[in-house]
Amino acid sequence: MNAIEITNLTKNYGEKQALAGLNMTVPCGAIYGFIGENGSGKSTTEKIICGLIHPTSGQVKLFDKDYNDIDIRASVGVLIEAPGCFPNLSVWNNLIIQATNLSIENKEDAVRNVLKLVRMEGAASNKFKNCSLGMKQRIGIAMALLGNPKLLILDEPINGLDADGMRIMREILTDITKNNCTVLISSHILGELEKIATHYGIIRNGKMIVEMTAEELDKSCPTFIAFKTKDNKLTKEILLKKYSKVLEDEQKEYLRVYDTSTPEDIVLYLYKNNIIVSELLTDKIGLEEYYINLMQNKGGK
Amino acid sequence: MSIKFEKNTFQKRLKSMLTVDLKRMTVSPLFYIMLGISFVIPILILVMTSMMDGSVSINPQTGEETIIEGFKNVWQIIGTAGGDMTGMSMDMTSMCNINMMYFIIAVFVCIFVSDDFRSGYCKNLFTVRANKTDYIISKSVIGTITGASMIILFFIGAIIGGKIAGLPFTMENFTTMNLICCMISKIFLVSIFSSIFLLASVVAKEKLWLSLILSFGIGMLFFTMIPIITPINSTIINVILCVIGGTLFATGIGVGSYYILKKTNII
Repeated sequence: MNAIEITNLTKNYGEKQALAGLNMTVPCGAIYGFIGENGSGKSTTEKIICGLIHPTSGQVKLFDKDYNDIDIRASVGVLIEAPGCFPNLSVWNNLIIQATNLSIENKEDAVRNVLKLVRMEGAASNKFKNCSLGMKQRIGIAMALLGNPKLLILDEPINGLDADGMRIMREILTDITKNNCTVLISSHILGELEKIATHYGIIRNGKMIVEMTAEELDKSCPTFIAFKTKDNKLTKEILLKKYSKVLEDEQKEYLRVYDTSTPEDIVLYLYKNNIIVSELLTDKIGLEEYYINLMQNKGGK
Repeated sequence: MSIKFEKNTFQKRLKSMLTVDLKRMTVSPLFYIMLGISFVIPILILVMTSMMDGSVSINPQTGEETIIEGFKNVWQIIGTAGGDMTGMSMDMTSMCNINMMYFIIAVFVCIFVSDDFRSGYCKNLFTVRANKTDYIISKSVIGTITGASMIILFFIGAIIGGKIAGLPFTMENFTTMNLICCMISKIFLVSIFSSIFLLASVVAKEKLWLSLILSFGIGMLFFTMIPIITPINSTIINVILCVIGGTLFATGIGVGSYYILKKTNII
C-alpha cells in the first residue's frame, strides 16, 4: 500500500502553471524527501494533499482512498510554512485546542508527551507570539505529531532549528516511522535530509524528474578519491593524461578523481611524476551534489 | 501493510469542533470585551441622554435650534411598539437601542472566524477536517451564543442604566409577557445575523476588513426588519416567526457558507 499516490496532478494559478502533470508515489512507512527549487511546486503539492487548495486536474490518493476521505484525513499531521497557532494563546492552550480538534481523549497527557518529545516542556505557559523562531518551529512539529498521525507532512521543518534542534528532529522522525507513520518532508537542507530519508522525489517546474530510494541514490552517487598537493593545477594536468574525470572541489582545495582505481595507484602515478600527495581520502558524492549535478544536466541554474 | 483508520463520525467531529470553539471563546479576551461593551453601552446611553434631555443644540451654519430629546422610558431602548414608526426613524433614541448590538455581534464573528485564517490555524483545522459542515455549524452556534449573551447583557445594562438615570419603567401598550416575547424573538433573530456574518467571513477569509465591510453592508439590508419583527409588544407569534424564520434562514445561509468554503482554496 502506498501512503500517497499522485497521478497527473496539475494546478494553475491563473496563467501560471504550478504543477504540470505531477506523478508521485510515497510508500507506507517511508521518510520521503521532497526536493526542488523554490517555486518548483513542492508546497502546492503538499497543500493539495492536505485539502487546503484544489487541484486543477489529476488524482490524489492517500492510503488507496481519495484524499478527501474524512477518516484518512483525520490521521494527517501537518506543518506547512509557519505553524498554525493563535499568537495570543499560550503554547499549552494552542496544543490543547488541536488535541480537541483531533478528538484525543486524554488531551493533557497527549500534549505533555509531544511537548516532551520536542523538548518544550518548560515553555508550555509562554504565549506563542513570545516564542523564538526555533521554538515556534518545534511547537509546529509538536502540533503535527499530536494524535499519532499515520501521515506527516512537513514543509521545511528544519528551518530555524539550531544544531541540537536538528538532531532532535532527526530522532523524532526516525522514531515515529517505527510506528508505521509515513513522513513527507520537503527541505533545502539536503545534508540533513540525507541522514533520515529513505526515499527521494525531485521536482522541477511542477514535474517529478526523479523518484528513487536511498539505496538507488547511493548507487547513483559515484565514488571519488580526493587529495591535496602543493600545485593542484599541475597535478590536474598530469592526472588528465591518465584519468578521464578530474575535478577540483568547490573550495578548490582538493582534487577529485572519479575512477575505480585504488588510491595507491594514483599516489604511485603522481610520485613517478615528482608530485607528493599531502592528504588523501575516498568518499562519495552526497545528495546535495547529486541534486546540483542533476539540475545542471536538466538545464537548470 | 494494512493500516486501520478510526471512524470519524459527524457527531464526533461536531462535538470536537464545538469544544474547540467554546474553548477558544472562553479564553479569548475579545469575548469578554464584547460582553463588557454590551453591558456598558445601555448604561452610558441612558445616563448620557437623560443628562442631555431638553438641552438645545444650535446648528452653527444655519443657527437653527434643536431640542435634544432623550429616552422618556427605559423600555424605549429595547424597542418600540409595532406600528409605531419611530422604530424606523433616524433620531438618536431609535438608533441607539438594542438593535445596534447586531452590528457589534458582526465584529465578534468576523474577528473570531478570520483569526482561524490569519493565524494559519486553518491549515491544521482543515487538514484533519475534510468535511466542513461541522465547522459552519459550530461557528454559527458560537456566534449565536455570543450574540444572545450580548443581547441579554444589554437588557440587564438597560435596567441598571435606567435605575441610575432615574427613568420610569412603566409599560405602556405592552405587558411583561410582551417584553419577554420581544427579548426571546431578538435572541432567536441573532442566528440570522450570525449566519450572515459567518458567510461574509468565509468569503473574506483572512481579510478581516473585507469581512467587516461585507457584514455591515449585508447586515444593513436586514437591519430595518428588526424593529418590525421584534416590537416591544411582541407576542408568541413573533417568537414562532423568529424561531422558524431564524432556523430556516440560518440553515440556508449556512449551506451557502459551506459551499463557499468547500469550493474555494483555504489558503
